[in-house]
Amino acid sequence: MKTIGLISANYSSTEFGDLLSNRSLASLPYGGRYRLIDFALSNMSNSDITTVGVIAPYDSGSLVDHIGIGSPWKLGRKSGGLFIMPGSSYGLQSIGSRFLLRDIIKCRAFFERDDADYVIMAGSSDVWNIDFQPVIEQHDKSGKPVTMIYKKVPRGEDYYGFFLNIGEDGRVESIQEEGFAWANYFADCFIVDREYMIDFMNWFEILEYMDVIRIMKNNMDTMDIDTYEFKGYLGKIKNPVDFIKVNQDMTDYDIRNEVFCNSERPILTKAQDEAPVFHHSDADVRNSLVSAGCRIEGRVENSILFRSVNIGKNAVVKNSVIMMHGTVGEGAVLDHVIADKYSSVTEGVKIYGTKDAPVVIGKNKSI
Amino acid sequence: MKKKKCIAMLLAGGQGSRLGKLTTNIAKPAVSFGGKYRIIDFGLSNCVNSGIDTVGVLVQYKPLILNRYVGTGASWDMAVADGGVHILPPFAGETGGEWYEGTADAIYHNIDFIDMYDPENVLILSGDHIYKMDYNIMLEEHLKDNADLTVSVIEVPWEEASRFGIMSTDDKGRITKFSEKPKKPDSNLASMGIYIFKWKELRKALLEDHENDKSSHDFGNDVIPKMLADKKKLFVYRFRGYWRDVGTVKSYYDSQMDLMDDMEHINVFIKDQKVFSNSNFHHPQFLGPRANISTALICNGCTVYGAVKHSILGSGAVVGDGSVVEDSIVLPNAKIGRNCRIKNAIINEGVIVEDNLDVINEDGEVAVYGRAKLSI
Repeated sequence: MKTIGLISANYSSTEFGDLLSNRSLASLPYGGRYRLIDFALSNMSNSDITTVGVIAPYDSGSLVDHIGIGSPWKLGRKSGGLFIMPGSSYGLQSIGSRFLLRDIIKCRAFFERDDADYVIMAGSSDVWNIDFQPVIEQHDKSGKPVTMIYKKVPRGEDYYGFFLNIGEDGRVESIQEEGFAWANYFADCFIVDREYMIDFMNWFEILEYMDVIRIMKNNMDTMDIDTYEFKGYLGKIKNPVDFIKVNQDMTDYDIRNEVFCNSERPILTKAQDEAPVFHHSDADVRNSLVSAGCRIEGRVENSILFRSVNIGKNAVVKNSVIMMHGTVGEGAVLDHVIADKYSSVTEGVKIYGTKDAPVVIGKNKSI
Repeated sequence: MKKKKCIAMLLAGGQGSRLGKLTTNIAKPAVSFGGKYRIIDFGLSNCVNSGIDTVGVLVQYKPLILNRYVGTGASWDMAVADGGVHILPPFAGETGGEWYEGTADAIYHNIDFIDMYDPENVLILSGDHIYKMDYNIMLEEHLKDNADLTVSVIEVPWEEASRFGIMSTDDKGRITKFSEKPKKPDSNLASMGIYIFKWKELRKALLEDHENDKSSHDFGNDVIPKMLADKKKLFVYRFRGYWRDVGTVKSYYDSQMDLMDDMEHINVFIKDQKVFSNSNFHHPQFLGPRANISTALICNGCTVYGAVKHSILGSGAVVGDGSVVEDSIVLPNAKIGRNCRIKNAIINEGVIVEDNLDVINEDGEVAVYGRAKLSI
C-alpha cells in the first residue's frame, strides 16, 4: 500500500494581526523552535512516507526558507522526496477550509506521475503527533475511497472547522460547518485513493474555487467516506489567544511527552545549531520551554522562549511567547505578550496583556 | 577542480587514556564537551571558519562514535563535491596491514590522499584541543615567510614551560632550537601541535622519516628536529587567545567551567566564529515548576525538575525532582533520578543515576561516574 502525502499550506487568517503579516499560518513559529508545518511534515516522515508535496502559500518566503529541500524530514532524496508546488494567488483566508480544489488541480501531475495507492492530505497548522500507518491500514481494509480523521471534542468547546456526523457503521453521514458544538471534530486530514482524487478533480473542476471538504459536504449523497478516530492531543490555533494557550500546553507533562518526547516519532525541524542556554546566577526559570542560544538573567514563568532570546537582569516574563532573537531589557515586565522575531522590549518597559487579549509585538519592532 | 591552497589533516586516532572512563568506549576527539559539542567540533569549526573545506580525519582508537559523528562533514558545512571531510582509518596493503605508529606515520600512510588533492600546503591539527583560531592568518604568515614549516606557538608561564615542547627563535620568528620538555627552558613559546607544512617539503620529510628505523615517527620527536637539523626554514606563528589541551579529567572539567564562567575565553555565542556541531535533534529544554537554576549551561532536550547550580547539562539530560546538581557536568542523555545529590562529578553519557543516590566528590577532586552508554 504505497502512500504519498500532500500538505496544503496555502491558507492564512486575518485574526493574528502582525503575526501573519509576512508569513502563512504554516510557517508560524511554535513551541520554542518549530514552525506549525513541522507537525505535518514530521508525521508523514515518521509514518514512512517518503514522497511529500507541499502546496506553498502565496507568501511563501518564510516557508520555503524553513523547509528547504526537506532534509530534516528525510525528504532530501533522489527517489521521491519533497515537492514544493506553488499555490494560487492569495489562497484561502478562511480558517475553516484548507484544501482549495484549484490548488490541488494545479498539482495534478503530482497525483498522475506517482504510482501510489493512497494520498494522505493534511493541513499544516495543527499541533499533533500521529502515526499514519494504522490509518492507512484501516483505509486499505475499508475499501472506501476516502477516510477522514477526526477527534472527539467536548461539546460546547470553541472549535472552528468541520464536524462530522458519523453513522453506526463509521461512515460519514453529513458534514457540518463551524460554529456548532458537535463532538466529532475533523482534524484537517484525510486519506484518499490516488485515482479517486484524480477523478474528483475531473468531476468537480467547475467548483475549483471551493474547498474540497465543502464540496464533499454539498455532495454527501455521492460520497462514501470512512472515519478514523484520533485519540491524542490536537492543538488548534485560530488566534493569538489560542497561540499562547497551545504553546503553554507543552509545559504539561503528559502533552509534552506525547507530542515532543516520543522517541520513535520525534517532531523534527530545521536545525540551527545554537549554543547551550546560559542561565545566569540571577536567573529564575520555571515551568517554561527554552530553546538553545538563549541567555537569561531575569525571571521567566509559564513561557516559551525561542532560540537566541536575551532576558535582561530583573526582567520578568510571564505567560508569554518570545520568538527567536527577541530581547527583553533590564527590569522590563511582560505578561501575556507574544513578541515576534527580532523584536525588543527596552529597559524598564512594562507590558501587560491578558489571557483573553494578549499583546502582540510585531517582527523587528522595538518598544 | 580548483587547486587547494591548503587542506587539513586532523589527528584523531589517540586514545586519551588520561581521560579515564570518558574514553573507555569513545575516542578522545569524540568525547562530549560543553553540553552539546564534542571536542573535535572546535578543530572542524576552525577549519570551516578559516575557509578550509577539505579535511582528512585520521582515526584509529574506537572510532565508532567519532565516525558516525563526523559523517560526511555536512554539519560543518563541509559536504562539498570537490573536498569535504574524509575519515582515514589504517588500512591493509599488498604486504599486509599496519597500525598508525605515530603522528607522522599516520600522515605517511595517507600520502596518496593528500596527493589526490595536491595542495600547496598541509595543515596538521590535533583533534583534542579547545580553542578558536583563524588558520588563514597563520597561513598568510607562513606564505609571507616562505616557510617550509610554520609551528603555531603560545606563550606559557615560564614555570610551566618545562611541560611543553619549547621553540626558541631569532628576532624574525625563525626557529633556532626545539626542545621537548626542557628542564631549563630558554624560551616560553610552547608548540600547540598545529603545523602548516609546504606539502612538497612534508612529503619529502615523511618519506625520509619512514626509512629511518630509529624514528618513532612523531612530528615533535622526529620530523621537526630533523627538518631543523637540515636547515629548513621553520618559523613560529604566535597565537594569542584561549587554548587548552584537555588531556586529563581535571583539565577537561576546568576548561568546560571556563566556558561557562568566562565567556571571554571561548565564546560559543559569537555568530561569525560559530562552533558547529552535529548534535542529535532535541526539543527545547523544559524547566519544571519547581526548577531552581543558577549559573548553568543547559542544552536542548534537557528536562529539569530539581536544582542545578554552577553546572553544565548536556543534550537530553534529565534532573529529577528534589535532586541537586552542583559544580558538575552531566553529559548528554544522562538521567539523574529523584532526590540525588551530585557534586564535583562528571556523569558519563547516557548513564542513569538511580533515585536517592549521591555522587559526591571532595572540593578540588573531580571524578567520572559510570561507563558511557552509546546510543543514536
